[in-house]
Amino acid sequence: MKDSIANNSTASISQARKAVEQLKMEACMDRIKVSKAAADLMAYCDAHIREDPLIMPVPASENPFREKKFFCTIL
Amino acid sequence: MCDQTFVAATFGPCESCGNASPLMNIYIKTDPINYCSFCVEMMACEGLQRGETLATLKTESQSLKKRLDEERNKLNDVELHQVAEKVEVLGALSIKTKRVLKGHGNKVLCMDWCKDKRRLVSSSQDGKVIVWDAFTLNKEHGVTLPCTWVMACAYAPSGCAVACGGLDNKCSVFPLSLDKNENLSAKKKSVAMHTNYLSGCTFTNSDMQILTSSGDGTCALWDVESGQLLQSFHGHTADVLSLDLAPSETGNTFVSGGCDKKANVWDMRSGQNIQSFENHESDINCVKYYPSGDAFASASDDATCRFYDLRADREVAVYQKDSVIFGASSVDFSMSGRLLFAGYNDYTINVWDVLKGSRVSILYGHENRISRVRVSPDGTALCSASWDNTLRIWA
Repeated sequence: MKDSIANNSTASISQARKAVEQLKMEACMDRIKVSKAAADLMAYCDAHIREDPLIMPVPASENPFREKKFFCTIL
Repeated sequence: MCDQTFVAATFGPCESCGNASPLMNIYIKTDPINYCSFCVEMMACEGLQRGETLATLKTESQSLKKRLDEERNKLNDVELHQVAEKVEVLGALSIKTKRVLKGHGNKVLCMDWCKDKRRLVSSSQDGKVIVWDAFTLNKEHGVTLPCTWVMACAYAPSGCAVACGGLDNKCSVFPLSLDKNENLSAKKKSVAMHTNYLSGCTFTNSDMQILTSSGDGTCALWDVESGQLLQSFHGHTADVLSLDLAPSETGNTFVSGGCDKKANVWDMRSGQNIQSFENHESDINCVKYYPSGDAFASASDDATCRFYDLRADREVAVYQKDSVIFGASSVDFSMSGRLLFAGYNDYTINVWDVLKGSRVSILYGHENRISRVRVSPDGTALCSASWDNTLRIWA
């Protein structure tokens, strides 16, 4: 009985200690401003948007999913 | 409560007291220590004598959390959608169902594209895993697993194997052969072993390693050839439902999301949790990296999808609407990262403008909840898997 109580408190202590260590590590991280991060995300989108087939549709002949398939041949 | 994979994995003499007993393989500052559970408790009590009590540790963690929030808020000088106001509005999208893949006998739970942009693998509740050719609707391979609810499946980068798993608590790899008559089940290789269901799996940049996430609260990295555990990732306090690998070749990080409402970013080599985000109000069902690798999105049961920037270390956008009340189960970005496709439990897929935060389009067609959405590797199509037993290809 005593062991299980000790077990609970040591487990929660080790958990709490782990949480404190984790938070200390996270607090030391180098962060950049949201304005810079947002600008980089926008620049990436801008650079790749022309190649995005779902936004700028590629002609049907080059898109294998859009091409019309003919199942009957006219004899 | 979830049971975690690290309890009593080996049996042998304890390094502290010398008695032979089940050992807890724990790490102290990356040094592995193999103590029996009694010695571990003694070690934890030593800390107690140094004046730390649960209460002091708790107050310390509260103050650290506050400090962390303050640091993060200092850099929040502008919102993403404000910066994005000068970006052009997207034109109307013309995305329609182009293929319907029928063949599964029960709910389709997961799917993954092959790098050749035309094949895909899907898994369902009845234990079947099918490899399809999306152009011709041909079923190329089919395997039946002995378990039901195959919740995770992944295609190997080479296209020569598929990995899948679910309620059997393990991840199995099947090499795909060109011989149609060959029994794929015979060549099955069990790679990962967890103590609860497998929720997600993905190959790393080669066929040789697999990253898995499980209902036991851990993620793990395995060697396919030997089945050996290379690294395990502990930190979630509930089931881990999803994971995604960072896109770049040199990237060694992955993000995971779970039922503890947290999204964690991990370093694959050290096993460390580098960043953690707790913004959602309910379970996180899916996480996916932005194509540049600097951000990721998450989908949750709280009916929102959120966008986090890793370098700014905060959530930068929330994709929600009052009319959207059902949980989101899956997200994926289009190739440029401008569109976010999110599958919901109300049978629809909402398409969000990532930068502006507005909804661009709704895709209707499925007759039951969406379990997974994935954009093809070249960005030409979107595949959605649903509980209505079908997969749809949208282009």
